[in-house]
Amino acid sequence: MAISLQQILIQTVNGVVTGMILALVASGLTLIFGIMDIVNFAHGELFMLGAYVGVLTLAAAGSFWLALLSAMVAIALLGALIYVTTLRPLLGRDPLTTILATFGLSLILQNYALWQFGPVARKIAEPISGHFTLFYLDYPWYRVVIALIAGAMIFALWMFLKFGTWGIWIRATTQDRVMAQAMGIPVPLVLATVFAIGSGMAGASGVLFGPLTAVDHAMGLDWILKVFIVVVVGGMGNLAGSIVAAIFISLLEAYASLWVSPAQAVIVSFVVLILTLLFRPTGLFATATR
Amino acid sequence: MNPGSGAAPGAVLLEVDGLHSFYGKSHILHGVSLVIGRGEVVGLLGRNGVGKSTTLKAIMGLVQPSEGQIAFEAQPIIGLPAHRRARLGIGYVPEERRIFRFLTVTENLRTGLDRHGVSKQRKKALLEKIYEFFPVLVERRNQAGGTLSGGEQQMLAIARAMMLEPKIILLDEPTEGLMPRMVGQIREIISVLQAENVAVLLVEQNVPLTLEAASRIYLLEKGMVRHHATVAELRADHSIIQQYMGV
Repeated sequence: MAISLQQILIQTVNGVVTGMILALVASGLTLIFGIMDIVNFAHGELFMLGAYVGVLTLAAAGSFWLALLSAMVAIALLGALIYVTTLRPLLGRDPLTTILATFGLSLILQNYALWQFGPVARKIAEPISGHFTLFYLDYPWYRVVIALIAGAMIFALWMFLKFGTWGIWIRATTQDRVMAQAMGIPVPLVLATVFAIGSGMAGASGVLFGPLTAVDHAMGLDWILKVFIVVVVGGMGNLAGSIVAAIFISLLEAYASLWVSPAQAVIVSFVVLILTLLFRPTGLFATATR
Repeated sequence: MNPGSGAAPGAVLLEVDGLHSFYGKSHILHGVSLVIGRGEVVGLLGRNGVGKSTTLKAIMGLVQPSEGQIAFEAQPIIGLPAHRRARLGIGYVPEERRIFRFLTVTENLRTGLDRHGVSKQRKKALLEKIYEFFPVLVERRNQAGGTLSGGEQQMLAIARAMMLEPKIILLDEPTEGLMPRMVGQIREIISVLQAENVAVLLVEQNVPLTLEAASRIYLLEKGMVRHHATVAELRADHSIIQQYMGV
C-alpha cells in the first residue's frame, strides 16, 4: 500500500492534536511527581471526573466554556481535598504506600462514577462545529482549537512556574523541601496547591477531550497508561520532557496507524517505553532542567 | 552552671531549655540548654557528632525534639513548623549550604524576600543592601545557584537567610571547605550581622575564628552543654578548649 504525502500530513496534525492533550494531562502528573514524589494512579480518574463535571455543567448551563472552567475548578478542589485527607498523612513513608493509596483511590472514583452516572456513555457536544478542508478530509476546527487551548494552558503553567512568587516557591520546594521550609516558604500549602493545579489540569483535559470520545467511568484508564508512558519517556518530574515526549509518542502512533490499526499502533509507544527504560532510564530528555 | 549568665535579663532573644532529641534509636541531644541575647554572637563548639548541628536543626524546627522547650522572644515555638519560625525571624544557614541549585541567585534570594507585608520599596532596598554586602552576587545574579563556587554559595546561603530580616541567624560551619581567604570574609560578614543587630549562633570547627567572632561560647560534649564561658575566660585558660575540642 502506497502512502501519500497527504496522509502523512493529516496524521501529523492528528498526532500533534492528541499529543497536546496528552501533554496537558502528563504535565499535571509530572508536576505532582516532581515536587512530592507521589505517583498519582488516580490521575486518570480526575480526568474522567472532569469530563463528567463538564457533562453536568453543559447540561445545566449550556456553555462549553463554563463547563471547562467549572471542571478545572471543581477537580482542583477535589485534588486539594484528596491530597490533604489521603496523601499528606503518608508523606515521608515508603513510596509504595502512596502508590497503593492512589491506586485504591482510582478504584473508588471509578466505581463512584459508575454508581452515580451509570454505564451508558455520555457525550459532550463540540463547542465549535465548523470544518475545514484538509486535503481530501473535512477536518473539524475543534481539534485544532483543543491543541491551541492545551498549548495555552501549558504555556500558562510554565509562565506561572517561571515568574512570580508562587513559581519560585514551587521550584524551591521541588529542589529542597527542607531548606524551602527554613526559608519561610509555607511548604504544606505549596504541596496542596501543586496537587490542586495538577488535578485541575487533568479535569480541564477531560472536558477538552470529551467531544472526541465517549465519557464513561473507564475513560481514565485508556489515558493514564499513555500518560505514564509519556511521563517516563520524558523523564519523571521533567515538565518540558513530558511535553516533548507527549508529542513525540503521539506522532509515532499516528504514523504507525498508517500501516496498522490504531489499536496496534499503541505497541509503538510500549516499544519506546521499553527502549527508554533500557537505555535512558532517566528519560529521553533528561538534560533539560526543571 | 547557669546557662543564662552572660545575656542581660530582658534582652534574651532565644532560650533553649533541656532539649532531648533522638535520631532513630540513638539519643543525640541529652538536654541542651543555652541562651542568646539580642544582637549577640554566640559560639557552639565541640567535636564531630556531639549534636551541634542537631541543636541548630531543633531550633529551626527541622528536627522534632522529644523533650525540652524553645522560646523565641519569650514565646514558646516548639510546636511551630519551620516556615513559621523562619517568618518570626530565625535564619538558617545549613552546613551543606543547600542552595537551590536550579534557581538563579536572585530567585534564591527571593525565596526569603517574597513575604506578605513587605512593601516593594522595602524589598528593593533590602536586595540592594545585600548586593552591596556581597558584590560578587551581583555579577552572578542571573546564574543558577548550582554553578557558583563553594565560597560564592556560602555567601549566597548567608545572603539568602538575611532576606528574612532575621533577628538571629543559625550558622552551621560556614568556613567548612573554604579557602583561607574566604574565612576572613566570613569573619567580616559576621561583623556586618552584628552591626545590623542580628544575633548569630555560630557552630564551628575553626576555633580561632569562633573566639574572634563570638562573645560567649558553649562547649558541647555527648549531646550536653559541658561548659559555658566568655571568650575572655577561654583565652585566659586554653586547657578548657583543648579538653573539649582535642586540639
